Amino acid sequence: MKKTWTSILLPLCGVAALCLLVCCPRSKLSLLAALAVLFAALSVKAPKWIKAVTFIAIVLIAVPIAGFKDSFLFELGIQIGIYAALALGLNIVVGMAGLLDLGYAGFFAIGAYTWAIFGSGQANAFIAGGHFPLPGWPYFYLFIVLAIMLAALTGTLIGLPALRLRGDYLAIVTLGLGQTVRLMANNLDHPVNITNGPQGISPIERPPIGWLDSVLRTMGIHAPPALEYSLFFYLLVLFVAGIVVLINIRLDRSRFGRAWVAIREDEIAARSVGISLMKTKMLAFATGAAFSGAMGAIFAAKQLFVSPESFTFLQSITILVMVLLGGMGSIRGAIVGAAAVTLLNIEVLKNLSDVLNSVRQSGFVLNLGFWQFNFAQLSSQLEPAKYERMVFGLIIILMTIFRPGGLIPERRHRLEMEKEEE
Amino acid sequence: MILSLQNVTKSFGGLTAVDQVNLDVREKEIFSIIGPNGAGKTTLFNVLTGLYRPDGGRVMFGEKNIAGSSPDAIASRGIGRTFQNIRLFGSMTVFENIMVGLHTHIHYTYLETLFHAPRFFKEEHKAKNRALELLEYVGLRHSASELARNLPYGKQRRLEIGRALALNPKLLLLDEPAAGMNPQETFELTDFIRKVRTELGITLILIEHHMQLVMKVSDRVAVLDYGRKIAEGTPAEVRTNPDVIEAYLGKSGREERV
Repeated sequence: MKKTWTSILLPLCGVAALCLLVCCPRSKLSLLAALAVLFAALSVKAPKWIKAVTFIAIVLIAVPIAGFKDSFLFELGIQIGIYAALALGLNIVVGMAGLLDLGYAGFFAIGAYTWAIFGSGQANAFIAGGHFPLPGWPYFYLFIVLAIMLAALTGTLIGLPALRLRGDYLAIVTLGLGQTVRLMANNLDHPVNITNGPQGISPIERPPIGWLDSVLRTMGIHAPPALEYSLFFYLLVLFVAGIVVLINIRLDRSRFGRAWVAIREDEIAARSVGISLMKTKMLAFATGAAFSGAMGAIFAAKQLFVSPESFTFLQSITILVMVLLGGMGSIRGAIVGAAAVTLLNIEVLKNLSDVLNSVRQSGFVLNLGFWQFNFAQLSSQLEPAKYERMVFGLIIILMTIFRPGGLIPERRHRLEMEKEEE
Repeated sequence: MILSLQNVTKSFGGLTAVDQVNLDVREKEIFSIIGPNGAGKTTLFNVLTGLYRPDGGRVMFGEKNIAGSSPDAIASRGIGRTFQNIRLFGSMTVFENIMVGLHTHIHYTYLETLFHAPRFFKEEHKAKNRALELLEYVGLRHSASELARNLPYGKQRRLEIGRALALNPKLLLLDEPAAGMNPQETFELTDFIRKVRTELGITLILIEHHMQLVMKVSDRVAVLDYGRKIAEGTPAEVRTNPDVIEAYLGKSGREERV
């Protein structure tokens, strides 16, 4: 009964959110509505195709149309998409295989620097001939593939010694290795300048998007190049994130995914049925790293700038929080977690900071008779945006206490024939 | 001879848990290992399945010395086992537990999975049918979609055996399969163990404290005490062996019996 209700309600809400977003793209309300529908499409019980159509309608119709009026929507979409792919990668390592990895941002850095170094003049510093920057077409796309392979290779090499450790020990070693990658990026500006050190690398080539421009023109849309690039990266990130989701689902329902969950549940039992621990863990590590590498290369091109600052320990923790919040081992959970934490970071905390700032600037004086307080004296240290870490900590604590399975807990698939028996 | 232990020794610090044990298990035999608590029975199983590396001696499985091989390599050679305190993949379904057991018999590569190559579907389909067959065999067909951790105790035991059978082992090691079972369940287990031997042609080694079961089902029995093998023979021989009675009941027990 419930199923039929939601399968009618969901598309209706979808259409409403779509209209709302297209009509008033700047309104927080329409953004909220769209997000709510997307969340519903991921979590409620309804026929698959209805959920898929609703999801795609919002993401591929409503957001692009609204994005032309308010490019912030693209920015938000890109961020969520990148983090969703990262969270899905880490979900394989931490969620499915149960290997606590605190250095995941390192692989993201490797992907980003792969394109940043060769997609800018940086490589001229150590390869003579002035061949660089490499043109965006076709090299950008080739370098996404290269970044995937490099990240996976690094994952394998790091995994070789690290994966012999278990639990907390593995966490400490991966934490160290993640820092090593960042420090290498920070310090490899001498004796040979490879990464340009703490200054970072800029500008980084982007792929040409003449084709997108002509498509838009034939549709009668004229947009500034910056906006077109926003749309391009939005679509690219969506596309790659979509592939990552597909790969995740396929692996999850294969002997590889089952082996990952098996070693998470009980290593000894898994070995007793012939599962090789090292091979299985390494595969998880390399797969997770590969997703991160791909998104790194895209991130570099999108930002036009990379520096070691983008790949800190906090970044690794951010992605981990996404997985924990969404639900360990849950694919839909990782997506929802990524969206929630990204929104928290760039919407909620920032807005709260803005509110606080405006209160301070207003010079409002609170007078309680016996105690007066001038808000202009409010310390700038109180800005919520500076409390990211504390908020993450709170999320982890609260989730562990109240919802250890996450927002959308992992649900092992029931046997397909259940449907016949129902 | 399917399995032959030669002077197998395993010690932890000053404690010699398994001390110079020699054992020969014949093909399609039901062989029981009994002994008081702490006699080294489970340690012996752990040496056999590669969880422990023996300090000395050889473990010949067929023609090959498997002493010191990794657990997964030994499992792939065809030794399946269950555990004293059941070790299932709790948050996976019953069906998936069996599918994990079939891991070494599912042949497709990583890339074939990503691109959903025909072999992926063929192998998954084959494995699924085999898993359902096995579930039928251990009587869990109707619990297939339940989470393993939600099963009642007796069914968990059966699922663990089912998972070990999925390996298609030549040799199956059962560590206290009757522990915690009521008389009816123990009776069914006796039948089941015989069925596994006759229908599937699998050799079984049991660790068991339930003497009635041991005496009823075993072809031969070995007795361990303080890591040493103190007796070996048919159930009738072992039952009357004075050393065995002493190990179980103490010296006075022996006198009373005699």
